Amino acid sequence: MSQQLTKKNEMDIPLRHKETKRQKTNLYFRKKIGWLFVIISIIAITIFNFYPMVQAFLLSFQSGMGGNLEYVGLANWKRLFGDPTFIAALTNTSIFLLIQVPLMIVLALFLSVLLNDPTLKFKSFFRIAIFLPCVTSLVAYSVIFKYLFGVDGLINQFLVKFGFATQAINFLADPFWAKVVIIVAITWRWTGYNMIFYLSALQNVDKSIYEAARIDGANAIQQFFQITVPMLKPIILFTSITSTIGTLQIFDEVVNITNGGPGNSTISISQYIYNLSFEYTPDFGYASTVSYVIVILVVILSIIQFRVAGERK
Amino acid sequence: MKKFYLMFMMLLGIVVLAACSSGEEASGGESSSEGSASVDKITAWAWDPAFNIAALEKAKEAYNGDGEYEVEIIENAQDDIIQKLNTGLSSGTTKGMPNIVLIEDYRAQSFLQAYPDAFHPLTDVIKSDDFADYKIATTSYEGEQYGLPFDSGVAGLYVRTDYLEEAGYTVEDVTNITWDEYIEVGKKVKEATGKNMLTLDPNDLAQVRMMIQTNGSWYVDEDGSTPNLAGNETLAKGFETYKKMMDEDIAKIVSDWSQFVGAFNSGDVASVPTGNWITPSVKQAADQSGKWAVVPMPRLDMDGAVNASNLGGSSWYVLNVDGKEEAADFLLNTFGSNPDLYQTLVKDIGAIGTYSAAAEGDAFAVEDEFFSGQQIITDFSQWTEEIPAVNYGLHTYAIEDILVTGMQDYLNGADLNQVLENAQSQAEAQLK
Repeated sequence: MSQQLTKKNEMDIPLRHKETKRQKTNLYFRKKIGWLFVIISIIAITIFNFYPMVQAFLLSFQSGMGGNLEYVGLANWKRLFGDPTFIAALTNTSIFLLIQVPLMIVLALFLSVLLNDPTLKFKSFFRIAIFLPCVTSLVAYSVIFKYLFGVDGLINQFLVKFGFATQAINFLADPFWAKVVIIVAITWRWTGYNMIFYLSALQNVDKSIYEAARIDGANAIQQFFQITVPMLKPIILFTSITSTIGTLQIFDEVVNITNGGPGNSTISISQYIYNLSFEYTPDFGYASTVSYVIVILVVILSIIQFRVAGERK
Repeated sequence: MKKFYLMFMMLLGIVVLAACSSGEEASGGESSSEGSASVDKITAWAWDPAFNIAALEKAKEAYNGDGEYEVEIIENAQDDIIQKLNTGLSSGTTKGMPNIVLIEDYRAQSFLQAYPDAFHPLTDVIKSDDFADYKIATTSYEGEQYGLPFDSGVAGLYVRTDYLEEAGYTVEDVTNITWDEYIEVGKKVKEATGKNMLTLDPNDLAQVRMMIQTNGSWYVDEDGSTPNLAGNETLAKGFETYKKMMDEDIAKIVSDWSQFVGAFNSGDVASVPTGNWITPSVKQAADQSGKWAVVPMPRLDMDGAVNASNLGGSSWYVLNVDGKEEAADFLLNTFGSNPDLYQTLVKDIGAIGTYSAAAEGDAFAVEDEFFSGQQIITDFSQWTEEIPAVNYGLHTYAIEDILVTGMQDYLNGADLNQVLENAQSQAEAQLK
């Protein structure tokens, strides 16, 4: 080995010597060209992403009505922790997150394993049927859910007619049921989306692993937990992070189905930000403080998820 | 490579600087517009094509001044207008801003105070005496008149006469009553017909807002910004009445606008206490013609409360940008001084203005078949004059959201004083 290496190096040296000045500038130029290609996107990201992020950060230390903003130091952050509406929004969003994301991931995983069964008939029909909710508009499906769960809605008619409930449940006016409706709605909308990731990952799992497991006498449940889940780990991590971010930013569903109500029992952080900026007398400073809370939460939760599920690199 | 980084950073710096300086230019442009150049086209923003936009179109036709400019009417949803105004005005650029904009009265003060120089005062253009008193408080700020009062949100109690009869009442029995009497009627109506008396939306305290305005009270003090919740007897009374309607089970719970409209269109409720702009929706159910009447809003059972209140309503504002003279001229020669225009508005759109001189016209005296020949426009105009003037102030919707939560607690059995005190301290912490 070492002999070969030295030989190679010996051969390299004369080559380097031969490298003319022209070739040198050529190489430099080529590197520069590479930079020129990326510089457009770098500048665009800087202007449209980083610059607003810095400005929003500065804004989060200001407060005032509309255009009359002034620096107030940490007052916004102090206000944050004593603000019952913010705490309600944070609690609601956390509840959605803690219940909905695991529920959806498990469901998506389960469905994808079922649909990956080679003996299953009408496979593409089921796949399309489950994926289809993802192509609907957020607002449109929210409105439909609102009517489904209305007092005179289809769900209530079904419940009453078949004797599951003695009288119609006012889902959207009850703090508990309103949350349930939101969770059901998001789960319906996004399960298929996550399922597609798992399905495509499952296609890449070597069949011989399962075969070997079967020969060793592993049953379906053991195969699922010992092979499927570990093999899909990176995808599970990816989907749980994107779902976490998505749920933290939940807005359309809450606004359209319950409008945060009853009381503040379904208000989300994003809706509170919207209210602070456009519903009430605008206080963009405080609103951007609240938005930075989402940023901080996303960073913390992503780190946790990486630590728990990710490779230790 | 070092050289290259240097170049890159410099380029970045230039770009960032350019971005900043262009912002300054824009705000500089705004201050130079104080001098104002004349323009040949002005734009107006409003929402609701069947109502406000239609009114603008009529105004355009009725314009009788001698200004030579074009008026472009642009329809936007109300939420979009609020967003566009907020983002535009707070960024300091006047590009893309309209000359005339419609703003809801509950929000007017917050715009006027949040962007002090953004609006053009109309003090010298219109006579505020020409308009209903209660509109002036909400459309002026620091002694200057900024808004041209437009539609009246005067409220009335729409009642189903056939249901009342079934329960043994006449229209007189519900005219000029208190809310307590109203609840008694509601109980009888429910007994006799099985129908609820009204709809309530627990997420929307419009009902409470109308109640407290009958006694000249609001969520805030007269200064428009100090929350007035704890120890506000009128508000407490409003809360009690609301709870009583819930407890007596005379209210159908709805959670949005279409359920609200659906409830009275399908004959599920015996009355609708709300603003006069609901008339077209009530009339949608043509088969109910002759079964409706409109009576004055019930009042709170307190000294000084009157049988007149308001819900919603909006006014026109002129932005302080090039073309403001033309915009003011347009408003003056239409909504500001033309009684005939208001006749057209009533006849064709059903919009009741707040221009006092217009109330004598023929169109106002028209007898409405749907309401068994009642002259509802005349009635509404009379009640408009009696609406207690309150300063809606800055925080109507912010405080309402706090109160909605408080109302939930109260309905679930919390102590009313405690609820209002909590709301007060929460509002004080939140609103500065």
